[in-house]
Amino acid sequence: MAKVMVSLPDDLLAALDAEAERRGTTRSGLLRTYADEALRRRGTERAARIRALGGGTASHGGDVAALVKRHRPRG
Amino acid sequence: MTTWLTDASVLLAWEDRADDHHEDAKRLLEGDAQLVTLDLAWYEVTNVAITAWCDDDAARRVQRVVSALDDAGGLVRCDRSLIADAGELAAVHRMSAYDAAYAATAHRLGAHLVSCDLRDLVRRGFGVSPSQALEMGAA
Repeated sequence: MAKVMVSLPDDLLAALDAEAERRGTTRSGLLRTYADEALRRRGTERAARIRALGGGTASHGGDVAALVKRHRPRG
Repeated sequence: MTTWLTDASVLLAWEDRADDHHEDAKRLLEGDAQLVTLDLAWYEVTNVAITAWCDDDAARRVQRVVSALDDAGGLVRCDRSLIADAGELAAVHRMSAYDAAYAATAHRLGAHLVSCDLRDLVRRGFGVSPSQALEMGAA
């Protein structure tokens, strides 16, 4: 596991430490949890947005990988 | 947390229900995995949707997928260093600069490249197919 140095305002650090103590974890552990939760939430929101777009409603003939190559500019 | 770099073919397979990879691409893009793509994908999906499919609605849908990835912090912009890496990769492996750009980006991020291009990317070991990505835990 990598070790990183993070700069935080004193009041935010104090709030983090208080929350870590309340949860019975460490400062590092709490920051890991928050980072993981934030990234997962972002992924969940992105997934919901893409689901709402309704991909797959149309049929375009398939073989998209070949189409991508065919439509790349040629030098 | 594993990051998956989807190329343009995966975004297009999500849209095209006739593509062999459609269901897997849909599961991947509509799942919670950590996904990124390269800015190049926007141009590639637009080219195919407008020029090959002649479908403006499809173009807007796939462009919005790129925007959703961007808003979630999942759009990588090509820069000088990435271009240099891609150029080297293309020369060494005799691959297109486009494929090399995706492969170089995945390498830089420590991500798995996901592509429907079985011939030039998956079988050559530069990436995995959407179904393989799902088997590896991307969903």
